[in-house]
Amino acid sequence: FCFLFQVAPSSTLLDVKHKFHKACPQWYPSRVGLQLECNGPYLKDSINIQSLAVSSIITLYFTDLGQQVGWTTFFLTEYTGPLLIYLLFYIRLSTIYDQVESTKNFRHPVVHLACFCHCLHYIRHLLETLFVHKLSGGHTPLKNMIKGCAFYWGFTSWIAYYINHPQYTPPSFGHRQVSFAALAFLMCEAGNHFINVALAHENHAGSKGCFPSPTYNPFTWLFLLVSCPNYTYEIGSWISFTVMTQTLPVGIFAFLMVIQMSLWAQKKHKLYLKRFHPEVRRKAAMIPIIF
Amino acid sequence: MAGSGSGGSRADNGYGSQQPRRRKGPGALATAYLVIYNVVMTAGWLVIAVGLVRAYLAKGSYHSLYYSIEKPLKFFQTGALLEILHCAFGIVPSSVVLTAFQVMSRVFLTWAVTHSVKEVQTEDSVLLFVVAWTITEIIRYSFYTFSLLNHLPYLIKWARYTLFIVLYPMGVSGELLTIYAALPFVRQSGLYSISLPNKYNFSFDYYTFLILVMISYIPIFPQLYFHMLHQRRKVLSHTEEHKKSE
Repeated sequence: FCFLFQVAPSSTLLDVKHKFHKACPQWYPSRVGLQLECNGPYLKDSINIQSLAVSSIITLYFTDLGQQVGWTTFFLTEYTGPLLIYLLFYIRLSTIYDQVESTKNFRHPVVHLACFCHCLHYIRHLLETLFVHKLSGGHTPLKNMIKGCAFYWGFTSWIAYYINHPQYTPPSFGHRQVSFAALAFLMCEAGNHFINVALAHENHAGSKGCFPSPTYNPFTWLFLLVSCPNYTYEIGSWISFTVMTQTLPVGIFAFLMVIQMSLWAQKKHKLYLKRFHPEVRRKAAMIPIIF
Repeated sequence: MAGSGSGGSRADNGYGSQQPRRRKGPGALATAYLVIYNVVMTAGWLVIAVGLVRAYLAKGSYHSLYYSIEKPLKFFQTGALLEILHCAFGIVPSSVVLTAFQVMSRVFLTWAVTHSVKEVQTEDSVLLFVVAWTITEIIRYSFYTFSLLNHLPYLIKWARYTLFIVLYPMGVSGELLTIYAALPFVRQSGLYSISLPNKYNFSFDYYTFLILVMISYIPIFPQLYFHMLHQRRKVLSHTEEHKKSE
């Protein structure tokens, strides 16, 4: 297929994509990837036609990036799933657990506390997605959302099954272990929240903002030691949750989260090193001093 | 060029716009090591082949031949784990994940099924996959050896890319039948299974796990098989053209 458009030289690629969308309604702009050569890198929307033009005619190659979904939709779906799934297990739906054992009614308080903490974690994520994060209007392929959802929803089902099981065994060190872990969990949640607020403020200040600096709030003091404290607090939450429930599947989930967050933190840290060179150099990426 | 398993050895796994990686090729020391590795593995699997034939001639029947080659089979199949390291260190241009997956599935069958469930060792299905593996591996490792020495006889290349048509389904049938035969014994003995309640709130049912493994063959086997068929068409037709142009 070949399409011919007449565009003003000062227009951007985004305008070209919009024109293309008008000509072919099924190719909405975020789904279109434009390249200068057949297998070259994708060009950004903000690029000016003038900067690309060699002559008065430019040839662009089109690739279907696949069904796209906005970041807000992505996160809302990813976080609502675990919230609801855990509750389904908590109320002990008759199809999941043996009814005779379930009706015995005694449940160790840690089970209720775990449900509360789990819900708190995801409600906080949802509220932050809606009100705190300044999510770019960007999109991501639907495949990514399905993979992310499969991971989160799958693991939530697995851990919820064991924590709410009639044969659940409470932690070995009893109340002390539970209280200590719950406290650590709440602190990590609070820390994560304050860090996200701080990061959102910096984003608001513009793209050339400086690296967020610690304020009077003790939770933000982690900025002095690491460049991605939000990931630090996130894995802190999950490790606390593991200790609180003493459940191996939660530990496995926490372990995978550590790996995932480490990879993300490493990437971000490299980005920060380039942008905010002197300040960030002495900091670790995610775990103070170690990594 | 010592690639991975029976599932193709090139970096083009068809994942969209991936630039063709320029293969740097292993250095001289790495090449020497790989040649030694592949020669040793070829020799090992030849030992297993000879062991099978001798045991068959001695016994007069093809039943329960597993015991005569049990030790070399375990040793050399486990030795294939080194191939994962080869990919990880980059001296072999294959994907670590793909190689790991293939080697682990073989090692799983050798240790977690055939070795662990003793009752299954007298089954004929064991012979089926052992023979398939032996022939495949002898051809594969000699293929790599000759490729590394840049002296690949067409016969070996043809054998590698043609015999799989029969050997692959044969091996898969043997494997599936063996796992199926092991199921009742696993159920009975509760092998490798943990049940609730326990201190770490975890449970694992090996029986269900084995059933899931069997089910996973359904999507995976056709994909790998057709990938090999595709590779065959590419490699063998390329050689034809090359010969014609000479």
